[in-house]
Amino acid sequence: MLKKGMIHRIEILSHSEDGRGKSLEKALAARGLSAKVRVVDVFTSENPAAGMPEFAAALGNPVIQKTGEMPQDFDWALEIGFLPGVTDNVGHTASELLSLLGATNDNQCYSSRLYLIKGDLKQDDVRVLAAELSNPLIQRALIKNSRTFKKEGGMEAVIPKVTLSNQGSAADSVDLNVSDSELEAIGQAGIKSADGARRGPLGMSLHYMKAVQAYFKNEGRAPTDIELETLAQTWSEHCKHTIFASPIDDIKDGLYKGYIKRATQEIRAKRGKDDICVSVFSDNAGAIIFDEDYLITDKVETHNSPSALDPFGGAITGIVGVNRDCIGFGMGAKPIINRYGFCLADPRTAPEYYRDKNLSVQILSPETILKGVVQGVEAGGNCSGIPTPQGFVYFDDRFVGKPLVFVGTIGLIPREINGKPGHIKKAHPGDKIVMAGGRVGRDGIHGATFSSVALDEGSPATAVQIGDPITQKKMSDAIIKELRDKGWYSAITDNGAGGLSSSVGEMAEQSGGFHVELEKVPLKYPGMAPWEIWISESQERMTLAVPPENTEKLIAFLARRGVEASVVGTYTDTGRAHITWHGETLMDLSMDFLHDGNPETPLVTSFARGGEAEPDIAEPADHVDTLLRMMGRVNIASKEFISTQYDHNVQGTAVLGPLQGPGRVYADASITRPVLTSSKGVVLSQGLFPRYSDIDTRAMAAAGLDQAVRNAVAAGVDMKQLALLDNFCWCSSDEPERLGQLKRAVEVIYEMAVKYETPFISGKDSMFNDFKGFDAKGQPVKISAPPTVLISSIGVIPDIEHSISLAPKAVGDLVYLLGRTADELGATEYYDMMGHTGNNVPEVDSHLNLRLYTLYGRAVRDHLIASAVAPSHGGLGAALAKMAIAGKMGLDIDLSSIDLPPARALYAESAGRIIVTVAPKNKEKFEKTLKGFEYVSCVGHVAYGDKLNIKNILSVEIEKLDEAYKAPLRGY
Amino acid sequence: MTAKALILAGYGLNCEEETLHAFERAGLNGKIMHINDLIDDAHVLDDAQILAVPGGFSYGDDTGSGNAFAQKMKLALWEPLKRFVERDTLTIGICNGCQIITNLGLVPAPEGQYGKRVVAVTHNLTARYQCRWVDLKVNSASPWLAGVSTLHIPVAHGEGRFMMDRAVLESLRENGQIAAQFIRPDGTPAAGLFPYNPSGAMDDIAAITDESGKVLAIMPHPERGMYSWQRDDYMEAKDKARREGRRLPEESEGMALFHNAARYFEVGKRKSA
Repeated sequence: MLKKGMIHRIEILSHSEDGRGKSLEKALAARGLSAKVRVVDVFTSENPAAGMPEFAAALGNPVIQKTGEMPQDFDWALEIGFLPGVTDNVGHTASELLSLLGATNDNQCYSSRLYLIKGDLKQDDVRVLAAELSNPLIQRALIKNSRTFKKEGGMEAVIPKVTLSNQGSAADSVDLNVSDSELEAIGQAGIKSADGARRGPLGMSLHYMKAVQAYFKNEGRAPTDIELETLAQTWSEHCKHTIFASPIDDIKDGLYKGYIKRATQEIRAKRGKDDICVSVFSDNAGAIIFDEDYLITDKVETHNSPSALDPFGGAITGIVGVNRDCIGFGMGAKPIINRYGFCLADPRTAPEYYRDKNLSVQILSPETILKGVVQGVEAGGNCSGIPTPQGFVYFDDRFVGKPLVFVGTIGLIPREINGKPGHIKKAHPGDKIVMAGGRVGRDGIHGATFSSVALDEGSPATAVQIGDPITQKKMSDAIIKELRDKGWYSAITDNGAGGLSSSVGEMAEQSGGFHVELEKVPLKYPGMAPWEIWISESQERMTLAVPPENTEKLIAFLARRGVEASVVGTYTDTGRAHITWHGETLMDLSMDFLHDGNPETPLVTSFARGGEAEPDIAEPADHVDTLLRMMGRVNIASKEFISTQYDHNVQGTAVLGPLQGPGRVYADASITRPVLTSSKGVVLSQGLFPRYSDIDTRAMAAAGLDQAVRNAVAAGVDMKQLALLDNFCWCSSDEPERLGQLKRAVEVIYEMAVKYETPFISGKDSMFNDFKGFDAKGQPVKISAPPTVLISSIGVIPDIEHSISLAPKAVGDLVYLLGRTADELGATEYYDMMGHTGNNVPEVDSHLNLRLYTLYGRAVRDHLIASAVAPSHGGLGAALAKMAIAGKMGLDIDLSSIDLPPARALYAESAGRIIVTVAPKNKEKFEKTLKGFEYVSCVGHVAYGDKLNIKNILSVEIEKLDEAYKAPLRGY
Repeated sequence: MTAKALILAGYGLNCEEETLHAFERAGLNGKIMHINDLIDDAHVLDDAQILAVPGGFSYGDDTGSGNAFAQKMKLALWEPLKRFVERDTLTIGICNGCQIITNLGLVPAPEGQYGKRVVAVTHNLTARYQCRWVDLKVNSASPWLAGVSTLHIPVAHGEGRFMMDRAVLESLRENGQIAAQFIRPDGTPAAGLFPYNPSGAMDDIAAITDESGKVLAIMPHPERGMYSWQRDDYMEAKDKARREGRRLPEESEGMALFHNAARYFEVGKRKSA
């Protein structure tokens, strides 16, 4: 142990075979560098107790680690630690160990990691390595050669403590009696501090700022900074969904009420007593009936902007954040499944873009973003004990500057808790406002307003934060598994975007007002300004409404579970949003103005279909080669490397996992049995076709919805037990053309949901997925993500016996193609591979499809189907190849019944199709069941042998298909 | 009388509910107990026959998987714990629980010296979390594994690699304390090869015991392989059974450990009688 001044630095050297060092050696070897890497875990603290030998002993494992002993034989030392204020989970655990050993001083511990490298590396190589291992937004990296290291007696003992000097008054008053241009500047760049610097974007338009100006004119005073920040949070696109709420063209109700919510209302009315919806669009998640005793909830969020800056932090914060939406549903639902979805640029490319004109801040590489977001969801989901079986990855180079990171959580909640409906909650006047979980720091200030604007060089680094899944797991377990059923609280919600300002503000709508005493909020470090405390998005917090007689025992109970909770105010019925700081009023707004004062912004749209003329493409000379190249396209290739890193069978509930068949094909649907004593299953899937937007967003959205439904139906769900979630990720939503594209997408999902009778139960939007920066020559560029709708599906099957995987089960089984294949290759994978967009984008005939899905459901019920797959990206060609790979069985196929040239038959992405295999003994019954449907053709059989044969087109070894399918992303 | 099984919870342990389910299915009287409650009420251990430390991510694996939780138990619960394992009781640590009881020195406990830390369960050689089904060869006199020769159950861990001195390894071999080893599906040793040996563990070790065999530390998850429908080959097996006109057995191999625990305390006997 090195002791420097008052700082203790403990170094724990791992054995030479440490997997972390070994994998780094492998990565260096891939770059042609031969090196040996030793890993040293480092802890620093100013706490005098950290000097105890027992502490150093508790941090290491004597079998494989050595404390205070450093090898002399290395060339480079590279240490990576956190910047002040960044969540340091390992340091946090070390602090807990220190207090277990009896330390009373609350000085924290900090962690860092030191790599001692021996090998033929130059300083630049080490710099490159440091850049790969760290992110300058959140971490520090220090490099020393061994000579300097020895001369200086090792690395420095760094204490990354936050020091804030908040010398100003509790709240500054902001003069709104200013010109329109200054008003606009306040809205866009933020309030001016005393030193003239802007505090960061409020994200409010001039239109909004003028409404605020008028309100305070009427009140006869100037607003405080905290009032302006609160209004900005509450009215942000992120929280209010203003684009979906605003009148658009002649649709007075706007897109949300006029289409999405209306679809659900119409379906529920039509279904009557067979309605499966219980709680839709009103809570943190949507809920449908699971069985007599339980509801299942679902919610899908996006965490795009933070993931562009810090992919790991963005993704982990996203997944643990959406877990809280589940915990905050009704009286609290138990998270039972996680979903994920990433839209990224191809990780094998290295485009050069910068955030600033001076070309000093380069955007992260697609590979860094891919690895980071995969790891973020891994750490969040695995540490929380929630299985993550379901997901997808989609690649398009236009996601380069603004990746889309979708995260979702399914929950389970009793229909009745303490004799009352589990999904109902209400904060009553007089209830105490209790904040439970993590403490408040400066993390994520302006996260909500920041995600509502496009990313540019002014994007604040404080928007980046890292989740702490264990703090949350302790809180989640305490609330969901114990506290909830005690009946001590009357309402609960999570702290997400906007922090307390949103959670308290929303809950207080029920009681009719609130009074928060901000000085009572526990902080991570002293010196924060009140407005910062109020809007901080520090993670792992829930807000509860607790009758006063229960607060003491509730807080004491949570303390026994290692969870901090504090009373920070009272729900009232005064109609006022009231905040004080040591008795001084900082905010006093009318609740009505706070929640409904944002002026309407009518929107107008225009639309022009995209695409080009249909290309004249010759049939490929070598169909085998073409299929192998298609299978290797990143949108079709296996993402197994993700599935094996995600714990998909924790809770013991996995029925059908993400890798199906003996050949382990990365599948589009998963099945879970959330209640071990019930035979019912939950089926999850999704659909998404961003590239179709290049021709028509209507086709894009329709294909996504149909795919989400069809994947679930193919896996065994009855159409009547299926619900949907919508996530819109748009770009440039202030442009009429983009809004026109939006309107078309919304219109069609309304029409289809009503037709299929699959209600939307929850949704979210992210409207400005544009990157504004500079290319390598310093020229300004704007790269907009393609308009994207993700439709997620969730359904219930009565018995997991009815579940169906995509792998063929037996040689001799018949292969049927159900559904119509048309000349629809516009914006497909095949056209993209050939360098075309085309025009004939796949269109959906929902009337036709519904007839198939209904009949198919009867075949499922009668156990007539041995395996099934819903063709998606890459059409029949990719689907048949995946079946052969999954089953490790040959297929003899004849597609001559499709009246198209071979490549078109193979790669058209027509919607509404399912390929099934059927045991010969079920042939008659199956055909009879599907008799009412005109597009049923037996196209071959499962064959002996190791080949996929498609008559007159191709014959290829399954082994080759398997390699083409698995090789491209294997190394990630 | 029905034997009582305590299943620990808290601080990021997360498999307590399915582990409880497995014990209850075997006829045992199971109870989940938060570690803080057990510390406050340690005599509960004196009335219990089985202690299970389930899987999870205690303290987020920070400072080494299972380390911080083991430190907590050692500081606050050591004497009652030692009393417990020295009685005629059964203890199982699964995955994170395996890491915890290994760090506590409940296994392999050479010469009955509980508390001595001589084996490490550390970062996978791939430095990656691995969730996948594996095959195990079982060769142990542990009551937990009576009558079990192979197991097909999943692993799910980032730090599952058993490491120790050669001398310790030799003594484990000699004493029959290597309870389970990774094999290939054809039954031959994994010989360190990924993915059959998913962690790179020495000698393909998947589980070890103390000298008595009553304390079992196992990295794979038997409770995730207690039912046929949990298996990775369920879809194939279900289809085959249907074609052959038979029902698929409800239980799968992982359940054997829990039945064995019940049988050890003669609970199974009473039930079937």
